[in-house]
Amino acid sequence: MTHTDSGSAGRIGAGAASPHGRSSWSGTDDRTPPVFGPGSQFHEFFNDPRWAMAMVRATVLEAAHPQIGAALIDNSTFVAHPWRRLRNTLVSLQRMFGADDHVRQREAARLNRLHARLGGTDARNRPYDAMDPDVRAWVVATLFESAVTMCRLSGQPLEQRAMERLYAEFQAFLAALGDEAGHLPPSLQEFWSYYDQVVEEELENTEAMRIILYKLFDHLPAPPLLNGLPTLWAAGRTVAGPVLGAITVASLPEPFRRRAGLPELPGAQTAMQGAYLAAGLARFLPGGWIKADSVIDLLALSPDSDDPRARTISALRDRMNRAGALIRLITPLPPEPVPGTADGGLQRSAEEFFAQVLDQSGNGYLDWPDLAAMARELAGRLDLDEPEETRLYDAFADWWRELQAALDADGDGRISAREYAAAVPSLAGPALIKVAEVLFDATDKDGNQTIDADEHRALFRTAFHRDTAGAEAAYTRSAFVRDFLSFMSGRRRSTPFDPLLAQA
Amino acid sequence: MDGNGRWAAQRSLPRTSGHRAAETAVIDVIEAARSAGVGWLSLYAFSTENWRRPHAEVDFLMHLVRRVVRKHAPLLHARGIRCRFLGVTDPRVPAALARDFADLMTLTCDNRGMTLTVAFDHGGRRDIVEAARSLIRGGVPAEAVDEECFAAHLPFPDTPDVDLVIRTSGEQRISNFMLWQVAYAEWVFPPVLWPDFRAPHFLECLHTYQQRDRRFGGVLPHQNGESRP
Repeated sequence: MTHTDSGSAGRIGAGAASPHGRSSWSGTDDRTPPVFGPGSQFHEFFNDPRWAMAMVRATVLEAAHPQIGAALIDNSTFVAHPWRRLRNTLVSLQRMFGADDHVRQREAARLNRLHARLGGTDARNRPYDAMDPDVRAWVVATLFESAVTMCRLSGQPLEQRAMERLYAEFQAFLAALGDEAGHLPPSLQEFWSYYDQVVEEELENTEAMRIILYKLFDHLPAPPLLNGLPTLWAAGRTVAGPVLGAITVASLPEPFRRRAGLPELPGAQTAMQGAYLAAGLARFLPGGWIKADSVIDLLALSPDSDDPRARTISALRDRMNRAGALIRLITPLPPEPVPGTADGGLQRSAEEFFAQVLDQSGNGYLDWPDLAAMARELAGRLDLDEPEETRLYDAFADWWRELQAALDADGDGRISAREYAAAVPSLAGPALIKVAEVLFDATDKDGNQTIDADEHRALFRTAFHRDTAGAEAAYTRSAFVRDFLSFMSGRRRSTPFDPLLAQA
Repeated sequence: MDGNGRWAAQRSLPRTSGHRAAETAVIDVIEAARSAGVGWLSLYAFSTENWRRPHAEVDFLMHLVRRVVRKHAPLLHARGIRCRFLGVTDPRVPAALARDFADLMTLTCDNRGMTLTVAFDHGGRRDIVEAARSLIRGGVPAEAVDEECFAAHLPFPDTPDVDLVIRTSGEQRISNFMLWQVAYAEWVFPPVLWPDFRAPHFLECLHTYQQRDRRFGGVLPHQNGESRP
């Protein structure tokens, strides 16, 4: 990180006087627009459909940073569970840019704890650390620059003042995360030279970037809502995947495209600008039609969640399922029926379970980051604070040691799908039972030794099922542990854990 | 649906062509039943004992049924027929066929017209054993078990008692067909072989049934297991 060493002292000096001091976010002064919440520049963008493309672009630019790329490859679940990941990101952004200061501080603390757990070395043995302030500054920089570029590409460039306001908001975002000022340049003029410098000198053609551009879209699993229509989804994806990839490539900064050796497809520039322009036209739609969070929520809603919208959704899902059934029935038979593709069975094969549940990062191996991703998802849902969060991670870490000792036959430190399939029965050891118990304690917020309806909803986002509730409307420790173990080892479907850990 | 084999033998054809010829009869009878106002039609396609037939014939049947189901699925749905498959628990049922069955059930589950139950890999005794297992698993005390309660644990408990059983080709046996539900059924044994069975034969059987002096005829159909007046 040579560029910051050369100029950081000057930036810190200037940064102290810049408008992103902590006192200004609460918006006490009526004249200045608020930095966060309704009325801020960011808030205007949040439901903009162009954001979808801008976010993909920003993610690619982040992944092209060697440190972030390595962290993504090792830890992220975006390949195997992109929809869950997208939803979590949106919820987090909403909390960080919302009007409530308390929520923001809590979310910042949670993000910091989460990122503090991500660290390691990349394939070339270079260390990475998700808490590195320069790296975090780059993430914020890509978000800001993508927002500006999104406006430019769709033919509605931001005015200088609006751009400055937006920049101040993103600086405040970084400050809210607790980072010292000075890692982002204090003024917008200096920002552009910082940005160009990173693009030209630091970004690389990383594996994570290639995965996002060329693999993610082509293999994107259907969101839970469209699960019943795999054929339709796959057909749409074959067309849309490469187009999305090409559009994203075309919107990247030219110097980077050259250096990373990304292809220049004929017409991609025009298609990209057309896509941004078309998405930009959505601003003429009536207000409330497009809300990023509700769209994502809707897509991610699990089959039998009892969200208020559940009835409509389940009706919609039923229709989707029926449409899927009809499509499958009327598709001409393939020359040879594929054996073992029975859907909806109660058992799933070891390979399926490995891919859907255990291998959260989707790299074909079970490794600590996969279990950490499970712990992360569970902690996020339960909204855990310290020390419960650490207890949960520790329980998962113990389970990882147990798994490694039992399953890692070739001793390479990770578990392949084959090693797993060969030794499935030993999965339910004492450490896994401990995980179940710690999870029960964390879910049982009031400590009354049963999980009541609200606690159940916090973890599974659904109410009790009519058939499981039966006698009493509570979930006891033994029943919880039994279900968790049968999910993790017996590979039974249709437990409440299924949408929790298996869903895309 | 008996007589496919004999039908083929009379024409010096392989048994499989008898099965193939049965397709037309099946579709014709479904249509005839629907237009005659029959609410529940059950077809006995394959019994748990039929697995004893030669491997090649079973294999052929599985492929044939799959083809027939897929071919007629849109039509059945368009006619508002609710389709269900009774049985289909044996692991020997090909996974692809089981999925087509499940798809057809999903597709037509909300239809309000006639309910078509296809007994495939079905055995009446096995259903009764399953109900007993389900009662024991549910921890129902012995005193609480009566006919109604028992019937509620059979597969598709909403199926009413069978009123009329038509067995083609002159065979006069029950052959393990829906044993619980046929308790009060009337039986008709037309001599015609199944591949030749058509709508007029079906209506004739209905007519015979109407002539029968049924003790419980004329009142609303009794629910499965409900005590009789």
